[in-house]
Amino acid sequence: MLPLWLLSLILPDPHLDLRQEARFRKRDLFYSGALFLLPLVCSSPRLHYVMVLAGINAILALGLSLFLGYTGQISLGHAAFFGTGAYTTAILTTRWGSPPLAAFWASAAVAAALAYLVGRSILKLKGYFLALATLGFGEIFLVVVREAHALTGGVIGIFGIPLFSVAGFSFDTYLKQYYLIWGVLVGLILFSKNLIRSKIGRAFLAVAASEDAASTVGIEVAHIKLGAFVVGAAFAGFAGSLFACIMSTANPEAFGLNLSVLVIMMVILGGIGNLYGPIAAAIFLTWLLDILGAYQEYSMPIYALILILLLITFPDGIGTRLNIRLIYLISYWGRRKRRERVDL
Amino acid sequence: MKGKKWMAYLISFLPLISIVWAPSSSWAGKAPYKIGVNLELTGPWAEVTKTVKRAMVMEMERINAMGGVDGHPLELVIEDNGFDLVRAAANMTKFARDKEIIVVVGPFEDNLQATTRAIAEREEITNIIICPSNPMLRALKQRWSWNIAHNDIVVSQKLVDLCSARGYRKVLVFHAAHPLAQSLAEYFKQFGEEKGIKVIVSKETHKPTDIDMTPQLIKLKPIMEREKVDAFYACTSGPPGPIVCKNMRTLGIKIPIIATHAFGFHFIIDLGGEAMEGVEFGAGKTVVPYQLDENDPLRPIVIDFDKRMMTHYRTGADQISGLAHDTVWLLSDALRRCRAKVTRVNLRDALENTKGFKGCMGIYTYSPTDHDGLTKSDLVFIRIEGGKFKRIKFPGYE
Amino acid sequence: MTPWAHIPQLAFSGITMGAIYALVGLGFVTIARASQIINFAQGEFVMLGGMITFFLLKGVGLPYPLAALLAVLLVVIIGFLVHIMVVYPLRKASVPILLIATLGASIFISNTTALVFGTLPKALPAFWGNQPLQIRGIFVTPQSLFVLGATFLLLISLYLLSHRTVTGKAMEASSTDPLGADLSGISRNLMAFLAFGVSAGMGAIAGIFITPIFYTSYHAGTLVGLKGFIAAVLGGWGKNSGAILGGLVLGTVESLSVAFIPSGYKDAVAFVILLLILNFRPKGILGSPFIDSRRW
Repeated sequence: MLPLWLLSLILPDPHLDLRQEARFRKRDLFYSGALFLLPLVCSSPRLHYVMVLAGINAILALGLSLFLGYTGQISLGHAAFFGTGAYTTAILTTRWGSPPLAAFWASAAVAAALAYLVGRSILKLKGYFLALATLGFGEIFLVVVREAHALTGGVIGIFGIPLFSVAGFSFDTYLKQYYLIWGVLVGLILFSKNLIRSKIGRAFLAVAASEDAASTVGIEVAHIKLGAFVVGAAFAGFAGSLFACIMSTANPEAFGLNLSVLVIMMVILGGIGNLYGPIAAAIFLTWLLDILGAYQEYSMPIYALILILLLITFPDGIGTRLNIRLIYLISYWGRRKRRERVDL
Repeated sequence: MKGKKWMAYLISFLPLISIVWAPSSSWAGKAPYKIGVNLELTGPWAEVTKTVKRAMVMEMERINAMGGVDGHPLELVIEDNGFDLVRAAANMTKFARDKEIIVVVGPFEDNLQATTRAIAEREEITNIIICPSNPMLRALKQRWSWNIAHNDIVVSQKLVDLCSARGYRKVLVFHAAHPLAQSLAEYFKQFGEEKGIKVIVSKETHKPTDIDMTPQLIKLKPIMEREKVDAFYACTSGPPGPIVCKNMRTLGIKIPIIATHAFGFHFIIDLGGEAMEGVEFGAGKTVVPYQLDENDPLRPIVIDFDKRMMTHYRTGADQISGLAHDTVWLLSDALRRCRAKVTRVNLRDALENTKGFKGCMGIYTYSPTDHDGLTKSDLVFIRIEGGKFKRIKFPGYE
Repeated sequence: MTPWAHIPQLAFSGITMGAIYALVGLGFVTIARASQIINFAQGEFVMLGGMITFFLLKGVGLPYPLAALLAVLLVVIIGFLVHIMVVYPLRKASVPILLIATLGASIFISNTTALVFGTLPKALPAFWGNQPLQIRGIFVTPQSLFVLGATFLLLISLYLLSHRTVTGKAMEASSTDPLGADLSGISRNLMAFLAFGVSAGMGAIAGIFITPIFYTSYHAGTLVGLKGFIAAVLGGWGKNSGAILGGLVLGTVESLSVAFIPSGYKDAVAFVILLLILNFRPKGILGSPFIDSRRW
């Protein structure tokens, strides 16, 4: 079984220009086709399951990259929005018997609302302080979830969440869940592309280029940043809802700092200001974690070491350069061989 | 820039190497019975869970050395879930989808049980969890899940006996904020009041990761003095246990402390030091193998296990490894009763028919309504004295 | 019984914990002043101090003072290593990258500690004895007094270091005016390197003093580190006195809050304080020389 991370690294995308990326190109069709065919070609249940997880991580990464990519600021509390989405779905489906689809949209709405409230006060900050504030928010979220037994089931969490189903069609196998999640992701990518091409999107790009210049042109920088934050949170809400339906439990331990760091890693590795990069990084990191599981006690130190090495080697992200480097590396051997013969 | 190329190579191919290097097993002869093991080998409880793995491996090798189960060797397929919900679910699913695996052992932690149990029900594979069940899970009446541990009911009953034996008429309960501890506190209250003991369950709780409980104890101290409680029940497991005892002594509170069976580990004494003197609780027999009664039918099993653990791993038996030992033996007994037709369904049914099986930690009897299998007579009273576990007996309360 | 009656005892335990937050905060400030980096692995140094001392004491069998001294030295070396291997290669990288890199270092250190020393918590024996003294109705352990004493001594040594030694003055210069320091021939990278060592040492000492009261385990570093950072921000980011004040205030408020709210929310208190401070007075209590500068 071919390790997918290898495939995910081969991304012909040297462009950092979001505007060009936002256009619909042949490459998008290629990716969609590959994604669609993949589980049919390879029917191992492990592949399905890991790709399902990778899909959820990809949605998270996409949402966060809209915020990080446009504002260059770090949010270390993203897992809290993910958790909000999961718990919203959990509460709505188990306590109020709501159909999963309604809960799906509601989760994104609640996460977005929370992001709006939090972002209004936090987004004034920059750099490390924003990171710290979002981290603090994430921790507060966890503490509240653990303490509010009546609402969230406290430390036990909520279990018995029904599987995702639409009009009687239930997504019970991992194959169906794969199509569900990646389908949602494709929808969200379409949304993002449209967003970037719209007037708001141009404002986002302006803020990303230079906040000061953007404000002189009359763009409300604070609103834009808040908007990006909220959109990122909504995506996380969608992801959380899907996660709750697949795991059928919602537990505070799944929504902590480790997850926030993982999502940030995916975005940074994928390349800040990239659409497909974070998705590829999501696939890569999800697979990496799955493979590392075999090493038991050594898995976490190796994971941290790989993270650091990756950061040092590719401070601009994988999606932008590794493909070129890999091709260069492979061709390097060929060129060296030729050079040796010539020199002699 | 140049120096980084080799790093890029290395990183890209690291995962590839791991796949090539994946461990493979082979066994000539009859097909092995594969047991999936889904444990928290990393994470806060890793050291304790490691003893599960070790005990299971040791017992598996012993059974295989004796010819396996009807000639079939046992094989453990071990995966780490890192105390992470997602990975635990992933491992469980992976095992369930693998047709050769007939039962999954683990997880060890309370938080992860709910998820793996749900998957076990859906996939119809037996899930043995080395952790006490709790009332909410028992209410679900899941057919495919077993808990191999002394559960909350049994432990609470034993503690109530301890209080009756010692003559405590008023007890304050300080419990951790997780479902097992909560349930222990509730059952203690229920059983205690049946026996005429007044139980005050403190509204203050603590988290399993708390390192200092002085603030909560400061609030409880005046309550304890006003109500003149006879004993303090440290209803918790793990490090908070000895910390609470230390905090109590630091604050000058001198009333006797009783505790859960989770205090029956050596690291608890190491952590608590002098503050642990005089703490009493009920725990499994592996804590005091040589202090068991001569006519106790489990004594030879416990001592034998303890000796083998000492030779193999240079540490004695403890409650957790005892449970792991019992798991492997229960499974092999159930497998044997399946005769030749070992399927997941037959194994489940055979396990449910276990009656009077003698393990280290007690005598197991299962039924369709009881997947916990142990009673309070499988526990013994223990007191910490001189930095060691000492068995105490109360006539009429064994 | 009214909550107010608990105040003195809670306040005292709060001050003890606050001293630890102060020391961790000092560690953050020292590195940040010398190199404009926030080292998220700071809490791990505290944890390592206690952990390595335990190992040397129980595993190797060295006498307590020698074990402690050796542990501090080893943690200082680890601090240097973190700088060389993680911070220095990324010295030109952007804020998000550095942040994640130090977080990655923190994850690496805590998990490797779990690997090497095991995941069970470890306790160290108290320096003087376990019997609490009673001072006016408050129970005081000798160890808490040691913690307060150590904090005081470390503060003094830090002051002496920065104001009386040439190296220390160079570190001060590097933080107050990086360009000027560069022009004067002070190597900023060397100053950052040294700062890592100093903070690691301080963290280790804090860890050794506080472990006998609580205990240490591989994941204890993360939370302590976070709260230390909050303390530094609370008191006035960038000032030593700010870190000390912030630490004491944070510890006390956190401890006192238990009297009024359910104890489960105790951990959230620190973060709520953080959000309040960042919202209403980002400069911190004593004001900060750094907030308006470009980097932040």
